[in-house]
Amino acid sequence: MTPLPESLLEAVAAAAVREGLADAVFTRLSTPIGRLLVVQGPQGVVRVGFEEEPEDRVLAQVAARLGPRIVASDRELAATRDTLDAYFAGEGDPGGLPVDLSLVAAPFRHLVLETLHDSVGRGEVVTYGALASRAGNARAYRAAATACARNPVPIVVPCHRVVPGSGGIGGYGGGPERKRALLELEGAL
Amino acid sequence: MPRSRDVTAVALPPFWSLVEAHGDELLAHARRVAGDQHAEDVLQDALLRALRAYPRLHHADHLRAWLYRVTTTAAIDAHRARRREVPVDEVPAVVAEDTYDEGAFEALIAALPDGAQAALRLRFVDDLDYEGIAGRLGISTVAARQRVSTAVRTLRERHAA
Repeated sequence: MTPLPESLLEAVAAAAVREGLADAVFTRLSTPIGRLLVVQGPQGVVRVGFEEEPEDRVLAQVAARLGPRIVASDRELAATRDTLDAYFAGEGDPGGLPVDLSLVAAPFRHLVLETLHDSVGRGEVVTYGALASRAGNARAYRAAATACARNPVPIVVPCHRVVPGSGGIGGYGGGPERKRALLELEGAL
Repeated sequence: MPRSRDVTAVALPPFWSLVEAHGDELLAHARRVAGDQHAEDVLQDALLRALRAYPRLHHADHLRAWLYRVTTTAAIDAHRARRREVPVDEVPAVVAEDTYDEGAFEALIAALPDGAQAALRLRFVDDLDYEGIAGRLGISTVAARQRVSTAVRTLRERHAA
């Protein structure tokens, strides 16, 4: 059986977006830290999955929240892809991309990630305690760490820039070696 | 064996997971029913139709069969549209092989009770076997067979009258 032509898939996705039929659009991106699955809804990037996360599960998570009409398109997400490609080439900050934190249900975790997205730029690092403090509760550094560990939109919401006050680079949802790679890329290490 | 079914909490898989799982065979199906020349346009139209209808589905079963049906319908509509545009055109495979006409079929069964209509659609439009019909309707295989045969007998009697 011949596989579906890419042009057909792109045409379906483009029409779906144009007609407002798509609850979310996703794209696969090759990067120095492995393949990323980037899912974007009407409000912004809603989920970034690392390559070891099963795609079906990542997409099902988004479907449960935004709806099941999920399509793939490199072209519809060209701007997002360009921003991420530039970032991995050493330029710019994907933190500038709009983000949709609707997969984060807990209010404080939501606030922590929003604060992180809005206030910690490329090359900066912040401690879990300082982040908790910026989000309004200086003692909630454990909750801040949990928020980062479960961040549904890594890289765009830069949890790799959050480190323990006690030293070291700390944990990371995508593994500490990816955290180190990102911080080195940004010149923060 | 009867199966209970929760129609209120439907967890539909992400649409593109279906496209990536079944796209190749759907294109092959589109080639069979619409011919090579029109297959890609037909499938593109079918996938958009399916996407429009997707959130309104009441269950997440038999999605592959559903996509086949949507593709067949898109092929028939495309053929009709081409016939209206161009007086002479080649007859696509599906129309040459049988005279399936959704409008006529629906008109034929419209007077039957809903349960009988559903059973007939599953049997003759979706081409399911009795086990498949039973699963879809949540009834036993024996009951599915009875329902179809009773409905067919009713139609015969009405048309004979």
